[in-house]
Amino acid sequence: MTASTHDLAPTTTHRLPSAPTAVDVVHLQTAKRFMTFAVPLLTLAVVLALSGVIAGVFYQLGSRPGTAEWVENSRNNPGVLWALPGFLGYYGVQSVATTFPLALTLGASRRAFTAGTLLFHGLLAAYIALAGLVLLGVEELTGQWFVGLYLMDVVLLGGGDPLRLVAVLFLGSLAVMSAGAAFAAAWVRFGARGPAVLALGTALVLAAAALLLAGQASAVAGAFQLWWLAAAAVVVIALSCAAEQLLLRRASVR
Amino acid sequence: MTCQTPPAAPPAVRLRGVGRRFRRTAALSDVTLDLPEGVVCGLLGRNGAGKTTLMSLLAGHDRPSSGSVEVFGADPFTHAPTTSAVSFVRDDQRYPDDFRLSHVLSVAPRFHPAWSAERAAELVDAFRLPSRADVKKYSRGQLSALGIVLGLASRAPLTVFDEPYLGLDAGARQVFYRQLVTDLAEHPRTVVVSTHLVDEMEALLDRVVVLEGGRVVRDSTVDEARAAAYTVSGPSAAVDALTAGLRVLASHRLGELRSATVEGELTDAVDAAARRAGAQTGPASLQELVLAHGAEPEVGTPAPPAVRASEGVPA
Repeated sequence: MTASTHDLAPTTTHRLPSAPTAVDVVHLQTAKRFMTFAVPLLTLAVVLALSGVIAGVFYQLGSRPGTAEWVENSRNNPGVLWALPGFLGYYGVQSVATTFPLALTLGASRRAFTAGTLLFHGLLAAYIALAGLVLLGVEELTGQWFVGLYLMDVVLLGGGDPLRLVAVLFLGSLAVMSAGAAFAAAWVRFGARGPAVLALGTALVLAAAALLLAGQASAVAGAFQLWWLAAAAVVVIALSCAAEQLLLRRASVR
Repeated sequence: MTCQTPPAAPPAVRLRGVGRRFRRTAALSDVTLDLPEGVVCGLLGRNGAGKTTLMSLLAGHDRPSSGSVEVFGADPFTHAPTTSAVSFVRDDQRYPDDFRLSHVLSVAPRFHPAWSAERAAELVDAFRLPSRADVKKYSRGQLSALGIVLGLASRAPLTVFDEPYLGLDAGARQVFYRQLVTDLAEHPRTVVVSTHLVDEMEALLDRVVVLEGGRVVRDSTVDEARAAAYTVSGPSAAVDALTAGLRVLASHRLGELRSATVEGELTDAVDAAARRAGAQTGPASLQELVLAHGAEPEVGTPAPPAVRASEGVPA
């Protein structure tokens, strides 16, 4: 061992570097460009392809594009609902569970990490909503992908209304990612007990709400308004973001 | 006219009565410590002595149960600029799923203003880190090498290495030592490194802090540590007589022979007395001193053939 540090000149007092910001955390969260931006589009492409296969089966069974029956069945296509939440939930979880330790290792503060992660979730939700809007436009312009396929012009996404589609995709994506991030933050803060307790608490609240409303189920169903779902999504997003912030504020790195 | 002396620079690290408990286990107890700026400090001690816990506190990755931690005069847990002034890659560092070397190298400069892309490229090349494999699939040595890349290239004012040699072969370890010396010569900063390879890293260190059972049992310069103890070896009876009344840190017996590490300065008189009794004396190496405090021997060092007796007699 010949190397030595003993002759190094003494240092002057360090001026601390500027702290990483939420924008820096967004860059960290989006470092995997393909996974972040291409996978949602590929997922939608797979849904479109599967919808095509299913439509082909119905065609073989005698249903024909453009008929009332075909349009009604196609516009009830729930493919997007089944495909996107899985990816978004996973992305919400990993954006905290494994990215938080690296962010702090790189010198990010907890506050910058939380703000940056929430900003990232918002940006990704906006990206998905914008992608959905563009796909809806293409779908309309091509006469449902030239063969009568319905991917975005479906009841779940607002039945062809661009504003509703953007609202559903944005709020839905953000709600799923935020909830995933909140569960991951509970894990970071309390270990395996964290998400278990959070899930139990959520289940108890939902069960209590169901019991309270059970007697008025028909009245509630009759009065149901679509904006209730949007309001519910906003509540989920707000609670999840608050939980994430509270949990990570004093979390240790695992 | 009065002559005023300039105020002394605050230490890079100041710990006062720091304790950290995990449920019923005390990982650190009443740790009080100052580290001046610009030193390379070896954090030594056996597994479970509290080294990683201490480093987590320095990096603001964790907070103490009691006492206070200051890095560059502020709490690294809550003060964002201080948090960003520390680079600490844990030995079990987590990385996001599917993260590759290119992802790490693309984001790290945003977090460390003094990041050296040249140093990073040099280290990546020297360690032959694969760029196409997911970091999660790296071997133990490759993960250590990536930690070294992040730590050295960050040029963070306080850089903390947690057993950075794990899984590295001798050649790779030499790369680390050379790069550390070169980079510190060009960009002096405070470094804390935990290690069991005391002999191998001794020449790099300015200070040593030895932890045992969560407490600091030695905090000194390397030279002071070396001068703080000596060894006496020879016939058991002679060594027994020579060490009577002295504080024996460690003792080994092999048949009729005994070797003892004694706290104190090795003077000519002590050496002469030992010669007259048919025994030998010598300065204790840093490794022997650490072993005496209960730290584990480095890899490849044969364990002492005899039992370690607890023969300490307060001076």
